Amino acid sequence: MLKVFKYTLIDLARNRFVLGYALLLLLVAQGLFALEDDPTKALLSLVQVVMALVPLIALVFTVVYMYDTLEFTQLLAVQPIRRSSILGGQLLALALALLLAQLIGLGLPLALHSPSLAAAVLSLSGSALVLVFAVLGALIALKQREKARGVGVALAVWFLFVLVYDAVLMWGMFTLSDYPIEPFVVPLAGLNPIDLARIMVMLQVDLSAMMGYSGAIYKNFFGSAAGTGVAALILLLWVTIPVLFAFRVFQRKDL
Amino acid sequence: MRELKGSILLLACLNVAHVDARTWRYRSGEGASLQTVINGTASGDTVVVEGTVSEGSIRVDRPLVLLGGAHAVIDGGGEDDALLITADHVTVKGFTIRGSRRSNLDDMSGIKVNACRGTVIANNILDKCFFAIYLSGARDALIEGNTVLGEPGAEEHMANGIHLWKCSNATIRNNRVEYHRDGIYFEFVTDSRITGNTTMHNLRYGLHFMFSHRDAYEDNHFEDNGAGVAVMFSHHIAMRRNRFLANRGASAYGLLLKEINDGEIKDNTFQDNTTGIMVDGCNRIKVHDNVFRLNGWALRLFANAIDCDFRGNTFAGNTFDVSTNGSLIPNTMSGNYWDRYSGYDLDRDGYGDVPHRPLGFFTLLVEMQPYAMVFSRSLFVSLLDRAERLIPSLSPESMKDDRPLMRPPAHLSTVSVHSAEACDGDTTRDPCAPVDACSPGLAACPHLIHLRVPHG
Repeated sequence: MLKVFKYTLIDLARNRFVLGYALLLLLVAQGLFALEDDPTKALLSLVQVVMALVPLIALVFTVVYMYDTLEFTQLLAVQPIRRSSILGGQLLALALALLLAQLIGLGLPLALHSPSLAAAVLSLSGSALVLVFAVLGALIALKQREKARGVGVALAVWFLFVLVYDAVLMWGMFTLSDYPIEPFVVPLAGLNPIDLARIMVMLQVDLSAMMGYSGAIYKNFFGSAAGTGVAALILLLWVTIPVLFAFRVFQRKDL
Repeated sequence: MRELKGSILLLACLNVAHVDARTWRYRSGEGASLQTVINGTASGDTVVVEGTVSEGSIRVDRPLVLLGGAHAVIDGGGEDDALLITADHVTVKGFTIRGSRRSNLDDMSGIKVNACRGTVIANNILDKCFFAIYLSGARDALIEGNTVLGEPGAEEHMANGIHLWKCSNATIRNNRVEYHRDGIYFEFVTDSRITGNTTMHNLRYGLHFMFSHRDAYEDNHFEDNGAGVAVMFSHHIAMRRNRFLANRGASAYGLLLKEINDGEIKDNTFQDNTTGIMVDGCNRIKVHDNVFRLNGWALRLFANAIDCDFRGNTFAGNTFDVSTNGSLIPNTMSGNYWDRYSGYDLDRDGYGDVPHRPLGFFTLLVEMQPYAMVFSRSLFVSLLDRAERLIPSLSPESMKDDRPLMRPPAHLSTVSVHSAEACDGDTTRDPCAPVDACSPGLAACPHLIHLRVPHG
């Protein structure tokens, strides 16, 4: 597994896309901090970018990369290596490469311009999102034989998490506003990893509004140590469950 | 004694029998009690007190100057008011006062002034008194440079820090009030000025006005009070150059205006509050040149506010700039700076060519369904907000700024104001020193109220 990990990582290091991702994030973050006089406002804009861009890139890149390295994977599969080692090595390398790119592209400017708790939370949630969506991307790539289809599904999944989920939830909230739905809003929003990551960051940057009569509920839940633990657990589940599925699919797959 | 000459002369004219004012020295533990000494004085005398006086409530019933010497403490011992003033022209300076009885029935206080004129209360420390300084029916009073501290963690057992009832022409200057119920409380107080005070960590309001007219409060610092500052049922109040910081909570406001007519709110800074200003039932308020930064709601404007004028304000980094609960907004908004404004300025006159609609779609959603707050700053919400700004369907037609500024007023950008917390106990610094070297008296320094640096 370590060998697969090593060679995949070397391959990824040569990949222009990962470098491009790091540079793009760096450019966006630096640009926002340069344009705004106020680091807090730049951070707010950056939140929106991270919450939309990071999942999209993690998904699409992983899907494309998995297809592009299919021949190498087939070559490995005929060697006396266990399939779980192959996939494990590849996934680890992918995750590490994307995390490193993000650390340079996002973590560095944040640490430079706005070294605050909010920035740390943003950086951490961004990393969690990278992991979640990289793993989902791998699962999609393994499930779909065709590359175009795979990318299509990835885009649909991104769209679902970033827009449709919120839209449906909000629609439901307004349709059922006559009923006591409050206890369900927070858990339902928390099920979506993007929403969850966003709420964690919002609790830092929108603290004043979050202390209002409705926000206080989120603050009480997610702001507490137990809430943070629950959030971390949900994100962990979002990583581990797709990983388990991916291994299952890969074990049985006819390469 | 030079500072007393004026009042002594005045007294001399009134009371010919006591032209020669004497100075009495009283050291606690030596000879008679302080009360006996006071009873032996004549109008206009000065009593210098040293050491701790704990003989229960002290009563001053003639014009006197009470000066605190070395370690001067008046301890009421939990028996009624620590110091009760019932005569005109009494001055109390330089004492530490504590040990008033806690009673919700009798309004006991550290220093109580009953129906007097020309009282001066300066440079005292009021330590865990129930009411700290209580003026009732006082005219021309001066309360200056006092430090009023309640009991942290037991604010619910405390009454108001500086409490004025039915007073006129009072001056409250450069005091610091912490851990009380209301920091400064005005009820039926007219023609008075509150300047350069700092009130923090009070259970309810930092400053509370009820039925008080023609007053002004300027250059004050209000931070982390339960519900900020409340101005209610009053008219002709001027509020200038104050700082409202970090008043957070479900019903917390930087400034709550309830039934206010003809007020002026100018050059104030509102930062990190859940709601910057809440306007409920107000007429003809001028809100000019204020800065709203990083608040949850910068401005909540209820539909019962009429003829209010919002001009030259800066809205930056707020979660919501403006929210309202109705559709008819008979107020004017013009020439404000909105960081959300995305229009253009082709004729380069400094004002945007298309109106700005500060009321976002999401603001209205949250107004209808508070729990929608969970979607704050999500991609879906920003798309909806953008759509609403382009094609307004929900927001009231009149809720717009026709001449939004392209840049913060006067090409200045505003820098975050600092908490006064860091300056606790440090009285040595120059009040007008740079902001990093803050001091408790910093609110007194006009330069520090608006920290503006040249843009770019």
